[in-house]
Amino acid sequence: MQAERAGTLFWLAVGMFSIYGSIRLGLGTLREPGSGFLSFLAGCFISLVAITIFLQTFFRKPKAHSKLKALWAEVNWHRPVTISLLALGFILLLERGGFILAGFLLLLILFRWLEKFSWKKSVIIPAITLGFAYLLFNVFLKATLPKGFFGF
Amino acid sequence: MEFFANFIAGFNVALQPLNFMFCFLGVFIGTLIGVLPGIGPVGTMAILLPVTYGIPPTTAIIMLAGIYYGAQYGGSTTSILVNIPGEAASVVTTLDGYQMAKNGRAGPALGIAAFGSFIAGTIAVIGLQLLAPPLVTVALRFGPPEYFSLMILGFVILTYLAQKSMAKALMMAGVGIILGTVGLDTMTGMPRFTFNIPELLDGVGLAPLAMGLFGISEILLNVEKKIKQELITTKVRGIFPNLEDWRRSIGAILRGTGLGFFLGILPGGGAVLSSFVSYAVEKRISKHPEDFGRGAIEGVAAPESANNSAAQGAFIPLLTLGIPANVVMAILLGALMIHNITPGPMLVKDHPQLFWGVISSMYMGNIMLLVLNLPLIGLWVQLLRVPYNILFPMILFVCVIGAYVINNSTVDVSLMLLFGVVGYLMRKFEYEPAPLVLAYVLAPMLENALRQSLILSGGSFGIFMVRPISAGCLLVAAALLFSSLLPMIRRRREEIVAEAEEDE
Repeated sequence: MQAERAGTLFWLAVGMFSIYGSIRLGLGTLREPGSGFLSFLAGCFISLVAITIFLQTFFRKPKAHSKLKALWAEVNWHRPVTISLLALGFILLLERGGFILAGFLLLLILFRWLEKFSWKKSVIIPAITLGFAYLLFNVFLKATLPKGFFGF
Repeated sequence: MEFFANFIAGFNVALQPLNFMFCFLGVFIGTLIGVLPGIGPVGTMAILLPVTYGIPPTTAIIMLAGIYYGAQYGGSTTSILVNIPGEAASVVTTLDGYQMAKNGRAGPALGIAAFGSFIAGTIAVIGLQLLAPPLVTVALRFGPPEYFSLMILGFVILTYLAQKSMAKALMMAGVGIILGTVGLDTMTGMPRFTFNIPELLDGVGLAPLAMGLFGISEILLNVEKKIKQELITTKVRGIFPNLEDWRRSIGAILRGTGLGFFLGILPGGGAVLSSFVSYAVEKRISKHPEDFGRGAIEGVAAPESANNSAAQGAFIPLLTLGIPANVVMAILLGALMIHNITPGPMLVKDHPQLFWGVISSMYMGNIMLLVLNLPLIGLWVQLLRVPYNILFPMILFVCVIGAYVINNSTVDVSLMLLFGVVGYLMRKFEYEPAPLVLAYVLAPMLENALRQSLILSGGSFGIFMVRPISAGCLLVAAALLFSSLLPMIRRRREEIVAEAEEDE
């Protein structure tokens, strides 16, 4: 599939969803616009532009790199995927495990397994980063960081 | 007389120890991220937004502004020494800056970039101080129809100048408007697009959105390929340009300053555009255009002056009209609103200490930057050696913790990650995130202006055409949209973009 078509189909779905949601919210009248008035206009606009770009792809000569697969052909796509999943894991662990445990695990995995640093560096750099983050957010900005079940 | 009174009042605020310290912190961080490839001022400001929650609003804006104009200084260092622009506004500096470095003239190239930036920055602040008060008087006459039309014009100019497809940029502005409507409707109290998530009743936060679209997505995009770091190994010496260098550069600096300042004021304009335009102007008027691209010092002086001048000029529409000229200003607007301060014509009356304090801090910031960028150039060169694979886990960690501490909620962190992935995909599919964020920030104002205008006119869209300022803005917007559809003009615009991309 062409990347351009896939992209516009996604935004078309966003536009249609916005139109549907806006109608449910109520459009009001021109004298007294309702809660869904602006998002309805924006949804119509997005859908219209998306349909136009989608149709244009049938009349344009496709480029060599225009396929969906080509976007990830010459790059390490697994790295952004791994980092996103690790960040998701961090979010799930943050309130249960606490800031220090969740943060240390995230950084350790990133440095040791993803970036192949030595064990020494993979422990020292996260420790310094955690210390800096603790000073900045907890001491300096007086923000509450989650302590987790270990209490730290 | 009033100028000097404001000048002194502003300095009284800017010189307070806390503000002075945060001004230094801002320009230091700005230079740092300008030097380091892989993270730009927008991403940094977004990441540091949560930090500003705990400090007074004037201090916060002084710091964020310092990051923006500081990055314009720092960006030149990597452009000249490594041939990698630290951020987009320094792309054009690589053309002659790197050639100068290869010819053994890295010192004068860095020197003229710093001096040019200082001169341009200082003149632009004086311009800002002189131009802002009369504009405030004009802005006070603006009603909802004028504001609505001005915002539409801003969207159209921003998308017209988009690096990629204008249609896609317009579409992103539409998405930004939808995101901006999420949360309670201020007029009816009805929840909109909240999916029964209580945290969304206040809307999607600017910090998670901007951190995701600019911070996280930048990391995801950078890690999929290796960032090459080839450093000039020769020592940087002789940073003071000689008399001949000055003779060739001074005109370029002054022209770059003027051009940058006015392009910075334009909605959609800013540092990136002004650096390209000033370089093109210098090349066109030069008696030796063939020297450009081979190490002409004017090719460094002009864009570096222009991008600094533009960075400061861009504050004018934000501080006087309350309308951000570009995405960086949109983040500043968001930061002000977080502190319950609405920028616009009343800002100077309601919060004079903020208005004049921020402007005066820029004088100080420019001096600090000159000190940071000339004697300490060796430090920044050393920093270039820090590999990206050490930096990105730290940036990621500061992002996730920063997003959490805003409301002590994992919903904000999840939203940030979601927008990070969406932003990554957007960049892969060549959709620009800047129009989205700008539209998101402006959406509540746009909606209020549209609703109030329609209520005023009894439901007639004619109100936008019978008022001269409003009609003028809409006509210019329509002309730009129409011109983008004309094949000949469109081809020229695509050529300009292609040239810019080739230069990158």
